[in-house]
Formats: sequence, C-alpha cells, structure tokens
Amino acid sequence: MKLNRREFTIGAAATAATLATPAIAQTEPLRIGWLAAMTGPSSAPAIGFNRGVLFATEAINAAGGVKGRKIEIITRDTQGDPTKAVNATQEMISSVKVHAIWGPTNSGESLAVTPIMARSKMPNLHPCVVDTLIDPAKFPNAFRISPSNTQWDDAVRGYALNILKVTKVAVIGDTTGYGVAAAKASSEGLKKDGAEVVYLANVDATQPDMTPDLLRARNAGAQAIVVWSTSTGMDARLFNTRATMGWDVSFVGHPSMSSGDIAKLLEKPDNWKKVYAVGYRSCSYDDAGKLPARSEELAGKLKGKVDLSDTLLWWVAAGVDAITLFSKAIGETGSTESAEIIKYLNGIKAYPGYFGEYTWTAVNHNGYPTADVVMSDASSAKDGAFRLAPGYKG
Amino acid sequence: MLASILMSGLAVGAIYALIGVTYNTMFMTSRVMSFTAGQLGMVGGVLGSLFALRLGLPVPLALLATLLCVALIGVVTEFVAVRPVLKSLDQHLYVLSTLALATMIQHTVAVTWSTEPRPFPAVFGFAIAGIDEKFWLPVVTCLVVIIGLEMLYRRTLAGHAFRAIAEDNFAARALGLPERNLRIASYALAGGIGALAGFSGGLLLLAFVANGPLLNFYGFVPVALGGLGNNRGAIVGGFALGLFQQAMNFLVGGIFSSVAVFGLFILVLLLAPQGLFGAPVARRV
Repeated sequence: MKLNRREFTIGAAATAATLATPAIAQTEPLRIGWLAAMTGPSSAPAIGFNRGVLFATEAINAAGGVKGRKIEIITRDTQGDPTKAVNATQEMISSVKVHAIWGPTNSGESLAVTPIMARSKMPNLHPCVVDTLIDPAKFPNAFRISPSNTQWDDAVRGYALNILKVTKVAVIGDTTGYGVAAAKASSEGLKKDGAEVVYLANVDATQPDMTPDLLRARNAGAQAIVVWSTSTGMDARLFNTRATMGWDVSFVGHPSMSSGDIAKLLEKPDNWKKVYAVGYRSCSYDDAGKLPARSEELAGKLKGKVDLSDTLLWWVAAGVDAITLFSKAIGETGSTESAEIIKYLNGIKAYPGYFGEYTWTAVNHNGYPTADVVMSDASSAKDGAFRLAPGYKG
Repeated sequence: MLASILMSGLAVGAIYALIGVTYNTMFMTSRVMSFTAGQLGMVGGVLGSLFALRLGLPVPLALLATLLCVALIGVVTEFVAVRPVLKSLDQHLYVLSTLALATMIQHTVAVTWSTEPRPFPAVFGFAIAGIDEKFWLPVVTCLVVIIGLEMLYRRTLAGHAFRAIAEDNFAARALGLPERNLRIASYALAGGIGALAGFSGGLLLLAFVANGPLLNFYGFVPVALGGLGNNRGAIVGGFALGLFQQAMNFLVGGIFSSVAVFGLFILVLLLAPQGLFGAPVARRV
C-alpha cells in the first residue's frame, strides 16, 4: 500500500501523541493544590492542617517521592473568603494544572468551589462538615475526609441520650446560617429519638448576657444543653452564666467548646467542667492517658518537628492523611489522570489513616466512620488531643 | 429575673447611651452622622485589652493610652471621611465616607487583632452591693461622662464654643470662632467618649471585633429616639433601649428580641420622626 505524504504525516502525529504522554512523566512533580484559609477568620484549622501537609510532603519527598516524582504543594491563602477560594481554584485548575486539590477548610468556601471542581473533574479531598457538600452523583470527584455535620449530631445526640441518659434537652444555636440549620436538625433528631426538646433558641453570638436563655432553659426543665455555635465568646458566656446561676447541667455540642481560646474568657477554670465537645477516638486519651496506637505513632514522629501545643492533633493528622492518600492514589494507579485517582479513592476500604479509618465507595463519599466520632472532655486538651468524655467503654 | 433585667439592661444601655453621645458629639460641630461611632467603641475595648493584658500596662496607663489612640482615630475620621464631604451635606455623601472608614477600621482590627473575642481585664476588681463590676462600671462611666460633658459645655470656654458651632455654624464663624479646630477637637472628644464606652464595657462585651457593627446599630437607636444632637435624649434613649432589649430577651428570646427592638424603634419614629426629645426643625422653603 502506498502512503502519500499527507497520510504519513497524520499517522506519524498520531503515533507521536500516544508516545508523548506516559502515565507519569519521569521528571514532572506531582502538584497538589491546597486551599488554605491561613489568615482571616477561622484560620486555626488551616494552620493545623498545613502542619500535617508540610510534614507528610517532606516525609514522602525525603523517601524518594512518588515513583521518583517529588510532591509540590501549591498553597493559596483563601482567607476564609468564598470569592478568593473560587479564584484560587480556577487558577489551580486552569493555570497551575494541579493533579488534585486538598481543601478548602471551611464550608462557606467549599460550597462555592465544589461545583467548579466537579466541572473539571478535579479529585478533591476536604474536611468541611456541611452535609450537602458531598453528593457522589453531583460531585463524583469530591470526598470528605472528616465527619459530616450529621455525624457530629449523631455523636452529640447519642452521648446526651445514651450516656448522660437525659430525656429533656435544651438546644441553643447561634444566629449564623450554620447555627440555625444545625440547631434545627439537632432538635428534630432528638425528638425522633424520643427526647423532649424543652427549649430551642438561636442567640446572637455577641449577646452580652446569656442569663435570659439559660433561665428559660432551666425553667423549662432542661437536663442537658446542646450547643451549636462556632463562637467561643458565646460558649464562654454560657459556661460563666451557668456557674453564676449555680446550675449543675452539662453542655454537649460543637467542637468550638473545646477551643483553647475559651480558657482566657472564663471567670474560673471550673466553669469549663461538664462540657463535652465533639472529638475523635483517634485523638482521645484513654483512662491511662494513652492515645490509640496509630496516633501514638504519629505523635512520636511529630515530636520535635511539629508543635502540637497550640493546635489540634486531628487537624495535623488529617493533613498528613490527605497528602498520603493522594500520593498512594497516584503511586498505585501509576497515573495522574483524575478519573484514575477518583476510581482509586472510590475503592478505598478501611484505609488505616492517622485521623481515621476511611472507606469510600462510588455511592458514599463520606469516608469517616461514625462510630469513631465521640465526645471529649472539652477542658482536657494536651498536645492537641483530649480525654474521652466519661461514660465511653473501651 | 427582674434583677437580672435591670442589671444587664442598665449596663448595656449605658454603653449604647455613650455611643449615642459619641454620635452626637461628632454631629454637633459638623452636622454629619458619622457611622464610625460604633467602631470607636469597639476599638476602645480592643485597645484596652491589648494595652492592659497583652502588653501588661497598669490599668490607668492602659486607659490613658486607649483614650489617646481612639481620640486620634476620631481626628482621622474628621480629616478623611468628614471634611471632604462637608460641602455636599445635602447629598449625604458622609454616609458613604464614614461607613467606608468604619469598614476599614473593622477589617484592620479583624486582621491585626483577631476575629475571636479576647478577654478584658477587671478595672477595679470588686462588686458593689453584690453587683459585678461588668454591670456597674458602664453605668458609673456613663454618669461620669454626663457630668463631665455638662461641666464642659456650661463652665468652659471651649464648651461654649462647641455649643455655638452646634447652634449656628455661620454665626459662630462670623464671630471668629475657629470652626475647623473646634470640629477636630470635637471629633477627638467623641473618640474619647467612644473609647470609654468600649473600655468600661469590655468585661461585658469582651474585646471583640464584632462589637463594631453591633454598637453602630444599637448606638444609633438612642440618637434617633432622643433626637439628633440631643445628649439627654440619647442617654435616656440608651438606657430605655438596654432595658427593653433585656426584657425582650427574657420574654421572647434572643433572636426575636432584635425584632422587637427594631419594631418599637420604627413605631416611635413613625409617631415622632424628630425623636421623643427632639423638636421639629423649621426650614425656609
């Protein structure tokens, strides 16, 4: 068969195209985008995650990288601003051409960027809690590495009803969109499980005096108070007012109640007693003061390299896990193609991370096991981990 | 319950009253409603915490430093947001300029200080008749400011000059009063009053950037209720607002208390647009 020049050229170009892009180019670094609210409101989580990200990256690169390729973290400070998060995401996808994205770290930003990443099929791991952020049908590329708000609510409700064994509960949220939605969902869940919600209120986080709300809750017969607020000021005022009233009631709820910022706002350290905030079994000390084995291993590796005294262990651990998971996805598939990374993540079953044991499938992208979401003694922070709240077995 | 309503209502009402006086002090010499008043209060609390807690200064020194710094911010307000728009008062450009400056102040504090509430130190550290300092200090501060302002306006030359500018700007200038310097001085004074509001209310409100918009809104209500430029009306309006707000907190709960407050505010303005203590101003048409 005789080839003319045109046919030869087309055939040569086609052959060159199939040869020119191997599954992993030998020298190109693996670019992982990191949408981090490092400054601005709610920067504490991103600062914690970042320590884990940098630690894991250095460790993997020091061991030779992924099949010889170094990991390069492309960090963009989104400042907690959805607009900045959108701009950074567009840049990462179109200009920098990252292979995967970790973050963002707060739900407001995530709500803005998740559809954008979905359109580009960008593999995305994030720790944001809003339930609607995960939908394998709409966002097949997005995977949650931490619990959803529903899982938090399940842990709070389970502790109040099954361990504290209360039947009458007050639910207080702040007036943010999150506080209103979370308090409402929490109240419905409690009623569904047979508890009586004797008081439900949304309170402005800047309200200087919490006495009216706590008096109303007490007068209604509340045996425990569930709190859904991200405001440490509001939390501290609730604890101080409880003490002033001489009311011996437990607070159960949002992780912000265990924030270190609260200590300086309390009138007395004892005002922080009987406060139980959402925590994680992997980052909880047992009665002997020991973390679970994998967490002890991580803490040992971090010692002297990463400061845990002013952050939370779970943030650092989740940052380590996120980078490790992307590295494994690329290393084991031999590909940086998004479809391959997503397929790999969909097949993960009981992966033993430092923060949790993750399982993802094609129809479930909430990877964190509900059983490992527990309540912590909010005032017991030590090196970023907490004591388990009383009443848990094993 | 009544004791709690009175205690916290009067305390928070005193802070609102002082912010109302801050608004009025800036208005007196410029005829401008400066929406930086609430931010001055917020900065008073933040700087008080910075100087006394973080830098470890003795409380009197921390108070002095706070007063000076916030007075300076008041002066900057006059230069940056008020003077350029004085010729266009009828176009109300001051709303834009002062709101813009207020936003800049708030974001600067949020970035440099924190967006989380920070603790504020006890100033005296004792209760009076079982009433905690966080409840009695704002009320006592408000009374001291009222007495101080009365003495200033009635017994000092500068106070007479302020009142002259407030009553008739053109006549005062014609008589040779240094209008510009008096305006700068009144904005510095307003800064000082705002700082006192934030400092005395620090234990109650904490050193928190979110207090800025809160004080802007709730400090404006006494001014509207009491009549623009009327300090007595602002004081009465502030205390009444604080008591009503706390009563509503107890009766209907936090989120609806704001609805009740602003509902009453709208009703009062519909019935008395010049405010409860203001007089309708006649103008030539």
